[in-house]
Amino acid sequence: MEPDLSPVVFVVDDDPAMRDSLVFLIGGVGHECVAFPSAEAFLAGGRRDRPGCLVVDVRMPGMSGLDLQQALKAEGTTLGIVFITGHGDVPMAVRAIRDGAVEFLEKPVNDQMLLDRIGDAIRKSIAATQLRRRRAEVEARRNRLTPRERAVLDLVVAGKPNKSIAAELDISVKTVEVHRHNVMEKMEVRSAVELARLFSSCLGGNP
Amino acid sequence: MRNLTIMLLILCLGAAVGPGWADERPTVRIGVIAPRDIDGAEYSWGATLHQLSISLPDYRFEMRVLDQGAYRRILADGGVDFIIGNPAQYIELEAEFGVSRIATVEFAGGPAPSSAIGSLVFTRAGRADIPSFANLRGKRLVAIAPDLFGGFRVAWKEFAEQGFDPFTDAGSMEFVGEPVEKVFAAVRDGRADVGIARGCYLERLVAAGRLRGDDFVAIEGRTPERLRCQVSTPLYPDWPFAKLASTPDSLAKRVAQALLAMPAGENGLSWTVPVDYQPVHAVFRALKIGPYEYLRQRSIYQLARENWHWVAVVVLCLAWTLISLARVQYLVRLRTQQLNAAHLQTRREREKMEHAARLSLMGEMASSIAHEISQPLAAIVNYARGCQRRLADGHKLAEIEGGMTQIVAQAERAAIIVRRMRDFVRKRPPSPSLVNIGEILEETLDFFLPLAERQGVTLDYACEMPLPRVNADRIQIEEVLLNLLQNAVDAVKDTDERQVRLSATVVDGVLMVSVRDTGPGMSQETCERLFEAFYTTKPEGLGLGLSLCRSIVEAHGGRLTGENLPEGGTMLSFSLPIAQE
Repeated sequence: MEPDLSPVVFVVDDDPAMRDSLVFLIGGVGHECVAFPSAEAFLAGGRRDRPGCLVVDVRMPGMSGLDLQQALKAEGTTLGIVFITGHGDVPMAVRAIRDGAVEFLEKPVNDQMLLDRIGDAIRKSIAATQLRRRRAEVEARRNRLTPRERAVLDLVVAGKPNKSIAAELDISVKTVEVHRHNVMEKMEVRSAVELARLFSSCLGGNP
Repeated sequence: MRNLTIMLLILCLGAAVGPGWADERPTVRIGVIAPRDIDGAEYSWGATLHQLSISLPDYRFEMRVLDQGAYRRILADGGVDFIIGNPAQYIELEAEFGVSRIATVEFAGGPAPSSAIGSLVFTRAGRADIPSFANLRGKRLVAIAPDLFGGFRVAWKEFAEQGFDPFTDAGSMEFVGEPVEKVFAAVRDGRADVGIARGCYLERLVAAGRLRGDDFVAIEGRTPERLRCQVSTPLYPDWPFAKLASTPDSLAKRVAQALLAMPAGENGLSWTVPVDYQPVHAVFRALKIGPYEYLRQRSIYQLARENWHWVAVVVLCLAWTLISLARVQYLVRLRTQQLNAAHLQTRREREKMEHAARLSLMGEMASSIAHEISQPLAAIVNYARGCQRRLADGHKLAEIEGGMTQIVAQAERAAIIVRRMRDFVRKRPPSPSLVNIGEILEETLDFFLPLAERQGVTLDYACEMPLPRVNADRIQIEEVLLNLLQNAVDAVKDTDERQVRLSATVVDGVLMVSVRDTGPGMSQETCERLFEAFYTTKPEGLGLGLSLCRSIVEAHGGRLTGENLPEGGTMLSFSLPIAQE
């Protein structure tokens, strides 16, 4: 099944007027927009496998916006977070941004800025989602390797020639070639260069 | 007897002169006040009438005997032209009707007309204990009548001059009435100690053989020259003949001439020039009777003059009292004004303080309220921008109407919050009215609930419905509620269990409103100083809130109390009397 990569914007605010007006504004520019009256409701009902952006009020009864950010961080979310506050609390903003929030906007929000930030967040979220998917794919392929093949793979990615690999693993060059062929097949790449690119793009060069 | 004599006389005269003269002659009417008792024999007027008829033939003379009780009325009606009476009667008529004497009776061989009447004061012969008027005190006195001139009054005047008042100083003062013998009999028989009678009566009665002269002895008696009887008093003029004020002087002159020309008739009675009646006046004046009755009133003035020092004391006391009263009045008015001014001042101070407290409470709630207002404003901005974008893009235009509706609704929401704040802090005198406490509670909650939730506080509301009506000032009760709620929220907002419960019930006919929280409770000091002005546990508080809440509740006839709950937390409750409908 091809995963759904269309972005969604979640609005979490306890004030119905604020919530509805944000939906009206954000929905007006074509984003799919889903609203929740509290952080708890969002955690219970919001699908978080899609890329997107969370627009959340910092202060709410019950779980606050920052609490929600922590919970999502623990989940390893790819959602971008835009905080809205009526209080302009600087230490709170610093903490939020350090923890990965895209923006911290004060009420009444500038609509253009809000929509720009949402756009940025969505883009980042899509990228992050794609990266994660690719990484998961690569990881899955790698998991098909035998331990010996994985050792060969590491050395190939490190750019070692077959002879060095054979010497290092204390096996024959012929055997190295067999393993190397299997690795290329299982990792679905045609060359060592391609294999190296695959790792650098999604695993930061470390297989 | 005497009346009959006179009537006969008049009839005889009328018969004698009647047919001879025609009725067209003017009639001159002579009034004769009926003499008393034995005077009738002495004072008879037949000769006089005869003399006048002869001397003034162009007049018809008529004599009317006037009864003692009736003569004043007849004189007032103009029933007579001339009047004959005794000196006392004359004095009174002179004063009342302006009669004036034109002749005085004179008896041939009798006393002088100016000194003819006196009184005899006597006791029983042989009593030596009453030699003078000075010994009368405590004795039983008897006389004919109090209004007789020759007799009681003349004697009374002498007594008065010696400081003896027969009505108060005597043992008794009895008036036995006519005839005069009764007076003499009373003294002779020992029923009275002292008798008073007109001089010469005794002699006349003795001469008539009706009394014995040696049964009696005069007190301070003397026998004036020409009188030939014993009297105890000075002598006074004899009877006058007087004209009325309305009688023409010419007629009076002719009548006077005729009277003076009259020869002595029966009993030796004739007329002489009128004598001076001042001595009679003197008697009346001294006794303050008749025309001088008014002197009795003046006697108050005299009394005052005689006792001037007491009068002065009384006047001073009165003046002092009046001045004190005036001063008290002035002070009362002054103090009342001061009190009113002080009350007004106190009320103004109180209103200022209440206002300060409300401002302070608003200050404490300011950030919450600002948030409450910024919410709808931010929503409005969002809706407006959303509308603009749809207009610019030209699609989803149908959604714009919904956005606009929301803009209006949110603007109204903000306006309500602003209006409520303004109402709350506006300076105004309290105006109690019959209000539904349930409505006040709900409105306050509408306002406060979001503020509490904003601070993470759960606010429960439990009340018995329907709640009764109370006589109260809506804003003041809201102020009390807001203070209690804000305090409760402040108490719990930094704790784990953030619960505030507002409840209203009716207990024993009194409305009880309570706000309880799950906070840490109050310290001992806070409990004790809870309602003290300027005592506060909040860094930003004025310490006026609860102190004013208490005075507001008490001004409404209720009570505000605060206590720590056994299960933890604090409860503040106030009561309000239910309005009688």
